[in-house]
Amino acid sequence: MLFRLYRRKVATQIIDLLRALALLSLGIISGCVTVEEVAPWDRGYLAEAGMQWDLSSRDAKLEGHVYTSKEASSGGTGSAGGGCGCN
Amino acid sequence: MQRLPARSPLVRRLSQTVAVLPIYQGSVLADAPPTFTEVGLRYTQYTEDALSDDKVLFGSKDRYDINITQLWIEAPVGASWSVALDVQNDYQTGASPWFVGTTSEGNPGVIMSGASIQDNRVEVGVTTRYFWADGNAGFNVIHSDEDDYEAVAWSMDAAWNTNRNTRTWTASASSSHDTVEPTQEKIPVFIDKEKLDTHSLYFGVSQILSRTAIVKVGLSYTYSEGFLSDPYKLRDARPEAHHRYTLATGLRQHFVPLDGSLHADYRYYSDDWGSQSHTVSLGWVQQWDRHTLNPYLRYYSQGQADFFSPVADFTSAYYSDDYRLSSFGALTAGLRWTVEVGDWTAEAQLERYVSDHGWSTFAGESAPGLVDFWRGTIGIIWRFD
Repeated sequence: MLFRLYRRKVATQIIDLLRALALLSLGIISGCVTVEEVAPWDRGYLAEAGMQWDLSSRDAKLEGHVYTSKEASSGGTGSAGGGCGCN
Repeated sequence: MQRLPARSPLVRRLSQTVAVLPIYQGSVLADAPPTFTEVGLRYTQYTEDALSDDKVLFGSKDRYDINITQLWIEAPVGASWSVALDVQNDYQTGASPWFVGTTSEGNPGVIMSGASIQDNRVEVGVTTRYFWADGNAGFNVIHSDEDDYEAVAWSMDAAWNTNRNTRTWTASASSSHDTVEPTQEKIPVFIDKEKLDTHSLYFGVSQILSRTAIVKVGLSYTYSEGFLSDPYKLRDARPEAHHRYTLATGLRQHFVPLDGSLHADYRYYSDDWGSQSHTVSLGWVQQWDRHTLNPYLRYYSQGQADFFSPVADFTSAYYSDDYRLSSFGALTAGLRWTVEVGDWTAEAQLERYVSDHGWSTFAGESAPGLVDFWRGTIGIIWRFD
């Protein structure tokens, strides 16, 4: 019981940290947080394959399909796409 | 055009630096069509664990096995367009929970549908994309057909760059029109034919923070109207409208000395059925010569829908004993590997998903039918001019 409560507390703290990340993102976008000016010819690291939002768009699509059919949540990655009778 | 035969770290770095110059921009930072044609084939085996004896009151303990094949071709058309054709086939067999009853000790237990279900789904999608100097826009049409379900969906998206191409705004809209016609097999179903429409909007922005870091945040809203219950569950009556909202954010940070990148993503989800969830994903992408290794972890925590109960209370207006609407947490651990050899890329991936009521950060009741599964993929991609 105590271990379960501890696990929940740790998970809640991690989520609080990620909420802070979300707020930081909003701050950056709104101009409240300064960002480093990066010239176009200095973006080689950003163009690395490993820096893309999805390493494989086909796998991201399949992964979203699997999770959407096994969990109550969906969305957050762009368009919703077509439905299916997955149960 | 002759492609570089080897991918030494120096050649890779030089080519990537060139790639982000406006005239050579590829798909990485937008805004030019791909410079080569890509043909890919992936095969995925998805296998759910059997339910344990103490959770099943009657029926097969085995659950779904699904074989998924994905085939695609994507090619540039002229100087400003690309087109992609995607075909996916899912063949599934097995059983799923029909309803939840009560044991003589008063504990909930699952009555399964029987191991008789077989279904084949074919999805065909076409995507066209137009590129201009500061952005791109795409249009996608999908048709999905299976024995008891048909969907026709379209989506449009656009991305445009501002602030000297350090900030990218993204917007998309999609709509799906579905028809469900349940097959009458070993379990009774109580509808002949129903409709479901789903519409979705997304708006997001990404910002370059430094030469090694980029962050994004996005909001989405999805509205569904029509038949949202599961026709293959005995005690399942859901509202005929569903509003869903998400806030998602992500960070990519490259570590130069390690030649590797950190992926961190978070999504908050909420809907008008009373469900909320947190999803946290962390991954590492390690480049090593022609090889890429990508270990990743995902934690998911969900709160139950207002009308969920472990044994459905069908005296209420809405009720469900579907484990997917219960409070639970889930952990995913996976490893993805790719290797490039000339114009070919091979990939392999293995993923384990386990769920438990006690791992949720939300209060609520547990469901006996929670699912654990394995997902394994192999694939090959050929790129040519």
